[in-house]
Formats: sequence, structure tokens, C-alpha cells
Amino acid sequence: MSVPSPARSRGREGASASSGRVLPFPVTGQELVLLGVIAALWLVLGLATPAFLTSGSLVPLLVSTAPIALVGLGVTVVIISGGIDVSVGSIVMVCAAVTATAMTAGDVPLVLALLLSVAVGGALGLVNGVLVAYGRVHAIIITFGTLNIFRYVGLQVFDGSTVDGIPATLAVFGRGEAGRTAGVPHSFLLVVILALAAWVALRHTAGGRHYYAIGGDAHAARLAGVAVRPRVLLAYVLTGLLTGLAACFVIAQGTSTLAPNVGLGLELSAIAAVVIGGTSITGGRGSVLGTVLGALLVQTVASGIIQLGWPSQLSSLFIGVFIIVAVGVDLLRQRGRSSS
Amino acid sequence: MTTSAPDRSAPSAPTGASSPEPGRGRAGGASRVGSAVLRAVLTQRVVLLVVLLAVVVGVFWNLSARNYLSAPYDAGYMALALINLPPLVMLGLAQLLVITSGRGGIDLSVGAIVSLTGMVFGLAHGRWGWSLVAAIALAVVFGALCGAFNGALVAYLGFPPLITTLATYYAFSSLAVVVTAQQPISTPPVQELYFLARAVPVVGEVALPLSILVFLVPTVLVVWLVTARTALGRRLYAIGTNDVAAEWSGIDVRRTRFLAFTGAGLISGLVAVVVTAQFASARPDAGTAGNGLALPAITIAVLGGVAITGGVGRVSGVVLAALLVVWLNAGILLAVPGNAGSQLQLLALGVVLVAAALLNGLSLRRYGGA
Repeated sequence: MSVPSPARSRGREGASASSGRVLPFPVTGQELVLLGVIAALWLVLGLATPAFLTSGSLVPLLVSTAPIALVGLGVTVVIISGGIDVSVGSIVMVCAAVTATAMTAGDVPLVLALLLSVAVGGALGLVNGVLVAYGRVHAIIITFGTLNIFRYVGLQVFDGSTVDGIPATLAVFGRGEAGRTAGVPHSFLLVVILALAAWVALRHTAGGRHYYAIGGDAHAARLAGVAVRPRVLLAYVLTGLLTGLAACFVIAQGTSTLAPNVGLGLELSAIAAVVIGGTSITGGRGSVLGTVLGALLVQTVASGIIQLGWPSQLSSLFIGVFIIVAVGVDLLRQRGRSSS
Repeated sequence: MTTSAPDRSAPSAPTGASSPEPGRGRAGGASRVGSAVLRAVLTQRVVLLVVLLAVVVGVFWNLSARNYLSAPYDAGYMALALINLPPLVMLGLAQLLVITSGRGGIDLSVGAIVSLTGMVFGLAHGRWGWSLVAAIALAVVFGALCGAFNGALVAYLGFPPLITTLATYYAFSSLAVVVTAQQPISTPPVQELYFLARAVPVVGEVALPLSILVFLVPTVLVVWLVTARTALGRRLYAIGTNDVAAEWSGIDVRRTRFLAFTGAGLISGLVAVVVTAQFASARPDAGTAGNGLALPAITIAVLGGVAITGGVGRVSGVVLAALLVVWLNAGILLAVPGNAGSQLQLLALGVVLVAAALLNGLSLRRYGGA
């Protein structure tokens, strides 16, 4: 329950009155800029290393982008509502551990494994949601705590070793030839479809608009009749469900072995993707399409640095710089809006 | 686990204790004492922490006496465990400064600053042959510069602290790894620093690690003096409580917040020296391995009564909270040996953080300020 600054809410009012439009333009400036940056990066990388613009390099790039973008979709909704979720990396770990164990030990069919992973993710998201929505403590503290608690649960499932001999049924998500349609891995296609659905839901349904209202000013939203707590709760459950699905992509991405460090630090990439995609970390503004582009940019940088032969840890430095630039651009835009 | 039990019972207790307030009968007198105790436990974080410390130590002593532990949990073991205290207390104090400055103040980058400064310190002392004092001075200045970078972005440019320090966490930890191509520095001058982690006798039988005396105690004293006894400290609490009111009363809000982040960086730089001495090696992942040092630091600050909304927090609470975590962790290692024990520490840290945060919120709502 943060008290929003009066200056910001006044600025928002002014903006919507002056433009005379209820909804903002379908595609934000940040998304166009991102598209340009990604195109430029691909061009530069293509010129620097001839191998970059081949399917042998772009397909793994899309496969590795998919889970981050998918987790990012949920985190976008959470951040738009004014919260944050740093426990998603641990949720990926628990879901991946449970699903991989079920597939190796129980010989569970693909559909059931997917449902299991999504259900486990949803349950963990519910824990976050209940604590954040009804505990009246800021989300960063709650999810920082559950990050550790979930990691403990995951380590118990792993029981001190790796999960070996995972069957190849998950290859349908994009690792092999069978996992692609027209050269695009299925996992990435699925993410694009889900992102479009989330984009429509956030923009054009009352429930979706409520998240922007809560992030803009939770108190005003409550007075206007928005059921703030159930909405916030739902955002974390949604994030858990999507993260559960993303965990299956992560399993499919690797070999037949799953190590306990799975998902470690994934929350950083996801939050970076969301912020670089133009979602305001203070809540109230943002778009899921930007998040997908942000995830693509983050992974392009990571893969580009490896292909250039630079130390792979250098990609974190670039991601950090990108986050600061993205937040700076957002601040400038906010200032421009409140002064006009 | 033991620590969360009293927290759980707290919400249900007040309803019975405070309802017969108007009645002046015998029951009323008893409940007034009860509610006064409850009030003290909920509002005076130091009281709660002392109670929890007594419970934790009592439980482990009891287990030890019945031979449930893999080694005796006695005064010697507890003193030995204090080697983990300096980094936790010092980084908890760094969070105290930043969180108390308000407006969502938090510093996720402290662990990364420790890693990066540790490498700089290791290079200076271990490779370039700087004297120990000069290298420590360099570490402190370098840490303060890292903190000042955060502070400039947050205070002067208006960046949200959470995402800013997340970004600098990325950047600093990446630089720490790249600067020596992932190689730790453990040349003889760095190895000799281990004397700082050795225990020295203080009073009679009691021996404490040297780093507590050389680094921890001075840091605690300085932070306490600054926050509780100087105008700068008063300004820090003022901007954390209400920065608009502070601005109107003539306080330079931006400069104060900038100094809070710089101070956190400075302390982190000092922690880098402590951690390097403890490992006898400057490691590029010293502050970021696993879940890093930021999580325990924030947990200890919140458990120590620092309100995440700013303006509330005391040095004594942070010190006691760190002591509680250190002795709890040490006990868990004896009760559940090996890998399972260190995993259980993760769970305990997470549960303690969530429970402490819920408790902070409860006591703030019930008594309007801790």
C-alpha cells in the first residue's frame, strides 16, 4: 500500500485529458525503439560473426528467449499492479524438479507433466499472492523470503543430486527438428500467442484495466470499486502458472539431466526484460509486447557476447546498463508528460 | 523454526488481553500487565529480540545437554560461530542507512559491491604490493564510490532504488568476475590476512575473532553515533518519515539520501576486506555466490525492526538480529549436519524474513510506530 505522489497522479490525469483518448496508442514508442535496437544489434552481430544470422544460431536464441519472456509476461502484470516478484527463479526450480522427477520416475505422459508443472507453479504463486495481498507487507520483502523458502523445497525434491534420464518427450517445445514450425520453435510461438492474448486482456477487458488502476493509485482504485486484493492475488497466481509452463521449456532446453542450479537468477533476466520493455517499475504503465522484445534483447546480448568470444559474464554488465538506460528513458518520458 | 513460534502467537494474543480495558476488576489488572508486556514485545524490537535470543540459545543448550546435537552447543562453539557476525551486522547496517532514507530505499547491490571491491583490494594488496593500510583505504574509497553511483542515480536523478540497485548488482558482479578472468587472488600477502579471522583472547577464557574488534565494533559505534547522535542522522530519519515535510523544513533531501547510499557502499567496501581475510583469498563471487549477501542483509535489517517504509530503525536491533541469525544458523548446523543443515538455514532465513516483515506491519498498525 504505497502512497502515490500527488504529482504523478495529476500528471496522468492531465495526459489523458489533453489527448482526449481513453486508451494509449496500441504500440508504445519504447517498443518501436526496442525493435530498432534489436534489428541494429542483429545487423552488427551478423556482420561481425557470419554465423550469427543463420538458423543454427537464431533458433537456440529463440528457444532460450521463450522461458524468460513467458515468466516476464506474469511479472509484467505484477509490476503494472505496483508489485514485484523476485521468487520466480525458485518457482522454476521447484516446478522443473517436480516435473522432471515425475517424468523419469513415474513415466508421466507429456500433457499430464505439463499440467503438473503449471499446477505446482500456480500453488506457489498462490502462496506469494496471499502473503502480498493480505499480509500488507511490500511484495519485495515477501517474495525475497519465499525465494529462499521455495529454493529449500526444490532442494528437497532434488535430494542432493541431479535428475537424470529425462525422456525426450519435451522436445516438441523446440530442441529438435520436430519442435519447429516453419523454422520457429514451438515454445517461442506459444509465448507469442500467450503474449497477444495477455495484451488484449490487459488493454480491452475491465479486469485488465484494473491492474493499471491499482498500479496507478491503489487507494483510488479501491474507492472506484476495484476489488484490489483479489486482483493482486490473481496477478501472483497467474505469474506462478506461467512460470510453471516456463519450467517445462527450461527442462526441454537442456539435455536429459537437470541440475539443482536450474532457474538460479532467472528472476533477474525476467525483471530486466520487463523493465527494458518499457513497463514502469513504479506501476501503472506497461505492455507485455515490450516484455517479449525485452527478453529477446537480453538474450541477443547474451548470445552475441558468446559468439564474439568475449567472457560470457560480460553480458550481465550490458544488461545492467540497459536497465539503467531503460529506466532513465521512462523517467524522462514521465517528466515530459507531467510538465505538458 | 523456533524463532517463528512466538511471532505466530502474537496476532491471537491481543484480542483476549486488550478487550476488558474499561473493567477495573482483578482480571482487568492482570490483562493490563499482559497487554503492557505484549506492547513492549511488539513495539520495542530489542525486547522481542532478546526474548527470541534466549529461546534459541535455550533450545539448543537443552538439545545439547540431551546429546541430540552432533557436537556440544556451548560457549566456545558460540564464540567460534561469531566469525560469521561481522559481514552480517555491517551489511545489515548498510541496509539500515538505505532503507531508513525512505521512498522505497533498498540496496540489492551490496553483495556485488563486496565482490568487486574485494577484487580491487586483492589486486592492490596481493599483486601491486600496496601496504595493508593503503589497500584498506582504497577498498573503503572504492566501495563508497560504488555506493555514490547508486546514490547519484537514486537521489539526484530520481531512479527507483529497487531497479537501480538490481541493475548495478548485475554490473558490479559482472565486472568483479571479468577483472581477473574469474581467477581468485590468493598470493601470500592476501593469505597472511587470515590472522584477522583468528580468535584472540579478550577477557579470560573468552576469545573473539580479531575482525570483530578491528572492523565490527568501530563500524557499529560510528553508525550508531551518526544515526543517533548527529544532525545528519536526524535528517536521515526525517526524510525517511516524510520527505516532503523534510524538504519544507529546509533539509537537503537529495544530499541526505545520496549520503545514505554512499555510506552503505563504504560499509560494503569494508566488508570486502573482512570477507577477503576470512577466505584468505579475494574471490570474484565472494558477495554473490548462491543467493548472495544482500538477502541475509535485508533479512537482518527487517528482523532488527527497520521499517521497509523508511524512517524507523535502530542500530541495536540490527546487531541483535544478526546475533540471532548467527546462533540460529550455528545451531541448525549441529542439529542437522551436512548439506541438509545448510539447506535448512535457507528455509529458516526465508521464514524469519517473512514473519518479521508481517510482524513489523502488525505492530506498526496496532501501535502506530515501533
